[in-house]
Amino acid sequence: MSSDFTVEISQNEYLAVGGDDVNAIVTVTSPDTGLAAPAGDQGSAEIIIIDCSGSMGSPRTKIEQARAATAAAVDVIRDGVAFAVIAGTNNAQPIFPLDYGLAIADDQTRFLAKQAVAGVLPRGGTAIGQWLRLAHSMFLSHPAALRHAILLTDGQNQHETPQQLGEAISLCEGVFSCDCRGVGTDWEVGELRRISSALLGTVDIVPDPSGLAADFAAMMQTAMGKQVAGVSLRVWTPQHAAVRFVKQVAPAVEDLTGRGVPSGPQAADYPTGAWGASESRDYHVRVRVTPAGVGQEMLAARVSLVAATPSGPEVLGQGLVRATWTDDEALSTRINGSVAHYTGQAELAQVIQEGLEARKRGDEDTATAKLGRAVALAEQSGNEATAKLLARVVDVVDAASGTVRLKKRVDDADEMALDTRSTKTVRTKR
Amino acid sequence: MTTAGAGPAAHAVCPSCGHAVGAADNFCEACRTELAPAAVSGDAPVAARECAFCHAARITEDGYCESCGRKVGSGRDHVELDLGPLAGVTDKGLRHARNEDAMALATAERGGSPVALAVVCDGVSSSRRPDEASLAAVHAAVRVLLAGVREGADLAGASRSAVAAAQEALTGLDEPGPGDPPSATFVSGVLTREAVTLCWLGDSRAYWFGAGPYAEARRLTTDDSLAGELIESGLVSEADAMALPGAHVVTAWVGADAGGTAPHVSTFEPPGPGVLLLCSDGLWNYRPGAAELAGLAMPAAMTDPLGTARALVRFALEAGGMDNVTVVLAPFPPTAPAPRIPAAAVGDKPAAFATEEKPADEF
Repeated sequence: MSSDFTVEISQNEYLAVGGDDVNAIVTVTSPDTGLAAPAGDQGSAEIIIIDCSGSMGSPRTKIEQARAATAAAVDVIRDGVAFAVIAGTNNAQPIFPLDYGLAIADDQTRFLAKQAVAGVLPRGGTAIGQWLRLAHSMFLSHPAALRHAILLTDGQNQHETPQQLGEAISLCEGVFSCDCRGVGTDWEVGELRRISSALLGTVDIVPDPSGLAADFAAMMQTAMGKQVAGVSLRVWTPQHAAVRFVKQVAPAVEDLTGRGVPSGPQAADYPTGAWGASESRDYHVRVRVTPAGVGQEMLAARVSLVAATPSGPEVLGQGLVRATWTDDEALSTRINGSVAHYTGQAELAQVIQEGLEARKRGDEDTATAKLGRAVALAEQSGNEATAKLLARVVDVVDAASGTVRLKKRVDDADEMALDTRSTKTVRTKR
Repeated sequence: MTTAGAGPAAHAVCPSCGHAVGAADNFCEACRTELAPAAVSGDAPVAARECAFCHAARITEDGYCESCGRKVGSGRDHVELDLGPLAGVTDKGLRHARNEDAMALATAERGGSPVALAVVCDGVSSSRRPDEASLAAVHAAVRVLLAGVREGADLAGASRSAVAAAQEALTGLDEPGPGDPPSATFVSGVLTREAVTLCWLGDSRAYWFGAGPYAEARRLTTDDSLAGELIESGLVSEADAMALPGAHVVTAWVGADAGGTAPHVSTFEPPGPGVLLLCSDGLWNYRPGAAELAGLAMPAAMTDPLGTARALVRFALEAGGMDNVTVVLAPFPPTAPAPRIPAAAVGDKPAAFATEEKPADEF
């Protein structure tokens, strides 16, 4: 595989005497073309899971638009890609193909799949864990390296316990990635985020069913662009050092800290999922080191991008996070712009989620303070998309200081949009 | 001069193919192997050794302890290069974590006469990875300079091209981050039998120390620094200017943000034999005057450039070693390098060689 990935580090490597806190932003960028697939590649597999519970029939446009969206996504699937469509209720059944395996995309199978999808009817309940389990077993019937699912639901996971859902998610982790979409406003943001987060996908709200087709086609387009699967960020740290956190911070905040799998002495691998061409993501790595003397330099972390291949892990690129102790305060107090920016973006996502939770509990003081802080952070960092979403939930009196009033009436869709998109970040200007 | 080398040359062979070569030849006629490549201070391989802090025995390729992460000596902390006709020593000093100075030395043959040349760069410490900057700069510059010398190009022009090449190398080295783009000072010297061609940017310096009846010492470069500009303006005495805060802030350099700053170029025709000194501010900070420096270096530098360069570095360390220090000494007129013999070529430095020539009677 070509190792044309770049791993760039942005940090202030200088620490004051006794300093032990090292922060760095790691920017990983994939090559623009010719991203060769790993040896032994068996291509891609796609499964579309549509909610066919009874509620999808009211209004009728929901199921109609879900069928149309699935058809639009099927049209985007490339020839040769293994695929299937699953109907999810309080259990799960394949819609196409019916043999619990995957079909290979061509004109005929795409046509047959769309025909089968056109006939699905809404009936029954919602047990998302069951849907994931069926997708899992169907994916395993084919040796594809790149496995991706789209999951659509309109309601809460009523017909199984959160624990059952959790077990299903764990089963699927590392096997396939999953983008989740909630249509309407009767679904639970936290539930879908739990799935998309563990399965390295995105989550979003589609308030109006008529928006589904374009969204599904776009998701499938992105999935078709993925070329390398099973890529991890490997973080080596010196002895007596500790990784405080590893977070993806762009394009969206995703805490990977608890997902590290030991991969050798003083090293752990954090999953990043699949990569397409010309993708760029930022990660914030924070390490606590043992302070050394003035003038000494230490490697605080070696960050490598590692791809799983049949012949073992392959390093695609690496960057060094350094620490140098100095008694020059002009050096040690210099704040790295990228680190400051993403620290703010991560706080922005957190205060939005905390603010919305407080609002639901009826704790208006906390909600006002948290969402006010969010408005100020969005303003400072130029995160206009989030600022706009916030303005639908609070009345902004003064953005710079974060002075806001909670709106008396908030559209459910606006609140859910703010919640699902709270983790979207903007990048630093360089 | 060529006749002096003719005897031993009859026995010299190409280290690559074994074909007989002349002592002063630039390339082997048979296989085109470069016979006298430049020696660069950063090229010394890092010797495998244990970590001085935790005693782990595994050091990574990029010079960190694989256990405790400490930076282990880079292989540039103290480097000595001895080409015979010229020699250089660089040291990280006593107060810096790494050596951000770099030097490149080379010998060549031009129109049947020997030529000696050297480049010294001092990484600007406020820039990103100044150690890599200085090394990349000397590498790029010496390659262009050496090619120009061999091709018989105009030496002032070749020197400017060498600066341009260094500039380009540093631009290629740059990546976004805090601090200034990688940058370094620059001073090069080319010694032919007739003249010394100098080229510089920043505050690394060249000095001339005359020998025998021509025992005059003088500084050959001006500093592109705040202090240098004040002194130039005539408003402040040298001692006062140097004592000012920020005296050492350089005002011209090679680097991605240097924007094609034109280097200074000058040609000096020595009145007689002597020695050219190229050095970083780690040396001249402690003894800026030409006569005083000559007092430390002469007359030993005429016959033992390596030993004298070592002594000057030791002097800077004993005076405080606040900065990286680099000293290159090249006796004038340049002599032909020792004949190359396979296998023994590396480290085979004929002590008698420098005394073989009696430059004085060449005038």
